[in-house]
Amino acid sequence: MIELVAITDGTLAPEAPVRAVPFDGLAVLCAPAAEGEADAETLWRREALLEALMEQGALLPVRYGTVVADEAAAVEAVSEHRDAFARALARVRGAVELSVRAVGPADAAPAAARVHATLAVLARDAVRLGGDEQLNGAYLVERGAVDDFVAAVGRLQREHRGLSILCTGPWPPYSFTEAG
Amino acid sequence: MSEGAVAQREVALVDLVDRLLGGGVVIAGEITLAVADVDLVHVSLRALVSSVDTAQRQGALPRMGEAL
Repeated sequence: MIELVAITDGTLAPEAPVRAVPFDGLAVLCAPAAEGEADAETLWRREALLEALMEQGALLPVRYGTVVADEAAAVEAVSEHRDAFARALARVRGAVELSVRAVGPADAAPAAARVHATLAVLARDAVRLGGDEQLNGAYLVERGAVDDFVAAVGRLQREHRGLSILCTGPWPPYSFTEAG
Repeated sequence: MSEGAVAQREVALVDLVDRLLGGGVVIAGEITLAVADVDLVHVSLRALVSSVDTAQRQGALPRMGEAL
């Protein structure tokens, strides 16, 4: 069994045991399927792998735990979405994902909305994910604009004392894998 | 790893789990790993998120940007 790790444009050269399996101008990166329970260290190893691959070029992470029988099955699973993947890769190329969460009292919802709107302007794309927080946002930010984005988060924290704002990243574009 | 670095990693782990298990390309019908085990991790980490605010007020966790 092999696990699908990421979709790329075919130029990335992963190190063994990860393999780039080409399909129609793109490639699906495959790794031997992990055995046993996924603990935090397993997840961090996957993150480190994706981050290293991102240094080589654009990629779309595949949902963790996506396992198929072999490389032929991998190609079959991804081929029908080829054009959507190509568009999504163009969308994320040169950008990283930043996470911003804001927690606070129930009446802080308008402030959280302002935080999101302000940050969305600085991003190539933005989405509010579900969750219990007042804001659980993902922002697709140009690599060169990450410092400016983080500085803006700092300013927003000072402006909105009722919220506790936490920014993490840069992440692979987990939240921006749709064609958009 | 310093105490602060561990705290940052735990906070970032919430975002990592959300992304690895809730984000990424979904290929229908092919997710066959032991997701139930992972879901337990997920639930406990969501609980951590709701405690972040309190922890920050106590100065135990980094504030904005510091987990970056």
